[in-house]
Amino acid sequence: MAKSSTVKSGRRAVVVGGLRTPFCKAFSDLTKLDTIALGAAAVSGLLKKLELNPKEIDAISWGGVILPPLSVNVGREIVLDLKLPYSIEGHTVTRACASGLQAITAAAASIERGEADVIIAGGSDSTSNAPIAFPSKIVNVLGPMVLGGKATPADYLGVLPQLMPLSEILPKVPKIAERTTGEVMGESAERMAKRNEISREAQDEFALRSHQRAARAVATGRFDNEVTRVETPDGFVHTDNLVRADTSMEKLGKLRAAFAKDGSGTVTAGNASPLTDGAAATILMSEEKAKALGYRPLAAIRSWSYVAVDPSDQLLIGPALCMPKALDRAGMKLSEIDLVDIHEAFAAQVLSVLKMLSSKAFANERLGKSEAVGDIDVEKLNVHGGSISIGHPFGATGARMVTTMANELAATGKQTALLGICAAGGLGAAAVLEQV
Amino acid sequence: MTDTILELSQNPLARSLISKAKLPIPMPEKLERPKGAAVERYLDDKRVLYAGSGTSKLTSIIARSLTKAGSMPLLTSEALRDAFAGPSEAYGRHSRVVALDEAESMEHVHAIVLDASTLNHSSELKVLYDVFHGYMRALDHNGRCVVIGRSPESARTLGQASARAALEGFTRSLAKEIGGKAVTANLLYVDDGAEDRVNAPLRFLLSAASAFVTAQPLRVTAKAVWEGEDPFPQPLAGKVALVTGAARGIGEATARALAAEGAHVVCLDRPEDDGPLSEVATAIGGSTLLCNVLDEDAPRRISQYLIETHGGVDIVVHNAGITRDRTLARMDEGRWNMVLGINLDAILKITETLLDGALHDGGRIISLSSIGGIAGNMGQTNYGASKAGVIGFTRFLASQLASRGITVNAVAPGFIETRMTAEMPVVVREVGRRLAALGQGGQPEDVAQAITFFAAPGAAGLTGNVLRVCGGALIGA
Repeated sequence: MAKSSTVKSGRRAVVVGGLRTPFCKAFSDLTKLDTIALGAAAVSGLLKKLELNPKEIDAISWGGVILPPLSVNVGREIVLDLKLPYSIEGHTVTRACASGLQAITAAAASIERGEADVIIAGGSDSTSNAPIAFPSKIVNVLGPMVLGGKATPADYLGVLPQLMPLSEILPKVPKIAERTTGEVMGESAERMAKRNEISREAQDEFALRSHQRAARAVATGRFDNEVTRVETPDGFVHTDNLVRADTSMEKLGKLRAAFAKDGSGTVTAGNASPLTDGAAATILMSEEKAKALGYRPLAAIRSWSYVAVDPSDQLLIGPALCMPKALDRAGMKLSEIDLVDIHEAFAAQVLSVLKMLSSKAFANERLGKSEAVGDIDVEKLNVHGGSISIGHPFGATGARMVTTMANELAATGKQTALLGICAAGGLGAAAVLEQV
Repeated sequence: MTDTILELSQNPLARSLISKAKLPIPMPEKLERPKGAAVERYLDDKRVLYAGSGTSKLTSIIARSLTKAGSMPLLTSEALRDAFAGPSEAYGRHSRVVALDEAESMEHVHAIVLDASTLNHSSELKVLYDVFHGYMRALDHNGRCVVIGRSPESARTLGQASARAALEGFTRSLAKEIGGKAVTANLLYVDDGAEDRVNAPLRFLLSAASAFVTAQPLRVTAKAVWEGEDPFPQPLAGKVALVTGAARGIGEATARALAAEGAHVVCLDRPEDDGPLSEVATAIGGSTLLCNVLDEDAPRRISQYLIETHGGVDIVVHNAGITRDRTLARMDEGRWNMVLGINLDAILKITETLLDGALHDGGRIISLSSIGGIAGNMGQTNYGASKAGVIGFTRFLASQLASRGITVNAVAPGFIETRMTAEMPVVVREVGRRLAALGQGGQPEDVAQAITFFAAPGAAGLTGNVLRVCGGALIGA
């Protein structure tokens, strides 16, 4: 067993607790809560659960992807909405689907540097409240008049010709497409399936296992201490609503490929993560502070790594590069890791990452290593399901994974967990958690 | 200079009318040229057929090169599969075998690479027929054929010598047959022990950078000392290059191409060309050096400037050159002296001085020769002598500097659309354009790309080569 990490400052950041809202399919139970309200629900639930005096908190470090255009600093808005002490600094980070983990590692870095002792770190997203943006053409033309405040109806009529043709000023339907390549993420996953020869059957099997494990976790109450009920204008929402205990290979097999139109497709709605609303929060403290306040830390943050790859090749392969890096920084080998949690953007993407981690050729060519990083036993991978079954509110996923893995280490006495997240733009994120 | 026929041939209506009327007008295909700096996956998702009768010392190197470039490899036999397995997996480009009897129905391919390095006897040459006769119909327009073999000079048996030399005649002839589709065919003679130096020339010959290079053999050897460095993309990052005659034409295009690949370019031209030279240097973030290469102290000034301002130089491109055409009987002495002075003497003097402290080990020297120096031209005894002299300079210096890791090569442009060729009589110009496998003249950029290829650290296998950039011109074999 490797020795625990030694940060230069001698200060170690530990996870003291974590909590999330139920994760709900977009435009379902949580539609009426925006990303700030969802974040506030997760944070207030966590504070109540830990009975933490808010005065101890230094900052909220929050991650989000679809940010409200008029109040992008969600972290600070949560402080204000919850009427927490004004002195709690709040900031918001965005790193696509790695935003939640980014918020957490940024908090860990602050703690290690001695900038702070207690930080709430997490993230939220409400796809149901994605702003539908007007094209910049309409903003460019009408903006000066609206903001100038002196325009008359005649002025508005006067600029109409500039707004033609009408098709160019219709609001753009939001979609998850790469800005530079124009490719929808499902198409990228489809291409990765082809590049890495991942079959439809393997993807469906992976998705099925994800649902079965998440369903078991829900049924056995494994998530009870990490999911809080949330009050909406229509009543309380108690549980995740995407997990399908009753799905099967037959059901998954009937779904049509969603992205490849030529009949060769393998990525379906069933083996991809769905659009989801939700929030997750963790509390990080310096180890000393946690002790002083009488908390038993669940896990410590041992190392992390962020990388980026060419988005036009294999958009979501990043974890295959940064998981080995995080291991190197932790001074560990993959075989020494007890639990692995990989964000399931698409089954094809996770299976591609696993295949590359097992590949000696990939290690030679892409990592400069003489041996493959290693095989990951399915028994220690995503033990309670993942984004395919539970859902994926972009900014919240990192904090959900840290919470589940920290609880798992604390509950089982296992020593280490390795996390991997792929993200838009060709980003990859990874972290190693360890037993305290 | 506008090439009316090339433009006409781009017009679909004109094209179909001319072909229906069976008019004797050539219809050259527009060449695809590089769009900006080279990118890592320059063959992204393009199919490349790799042919070989079995694996050779080159197979795994080529497998890695092709998959890293993003191409989808097709193989002619199961025996090649193992060598492709690893790189295919690492880069997500899986290979597929297309046997000869399936060639009829195969999809289009961008390139055919025939590895003939194991060829031992003339009786084995049938592989050339089998592969190209069988698969060439699948080649896309602007496609590429590359034949790889061992050099006849290194043959140990009569059979090897004949078989290896045969590759050249085959490739040159093939180039003439497929040039109409803008497809090129070139030959790489790779020495035993120089296999790991094949990547850069293969990249050049398979990419758009070699659009106007066809029917040419290149020799890849292990003569020059090499640390194994082959940075790509941006192969010239951190390098300092000197380009003489950089104010316009091929010199300007070369300065731009070198800069696009990462080099800092010192643009040199005569003081009276200050205006256009500054424009080029400003556009590419380079420097200017105003200097007449004929001046007595030019070599010393250039060397001193490079050492003091840039700490030396990595790449030297001797491009400055002139023509003063007259038949020998009518040629005055001034024309002779001027051409020989600028085109050859200056190159020697500047090089000798730069070798004494300014040019770094591992450096690159590339000079402009000309097809006129190979085949000779009426009215160009002076020019022909100077450009043939450059070839002698290149070959001699190449062997002298190999131990310092410095490579010395020359490019010999054929008909290039420049100010010089625009002044030719119409008939001569038209003949110059059409008497090439590709049926058209080249652009200054085509020569610039060849120079840039020789300038890269990865091109260490090439020294003493004279590469014709001529579109497969008939003259100057």
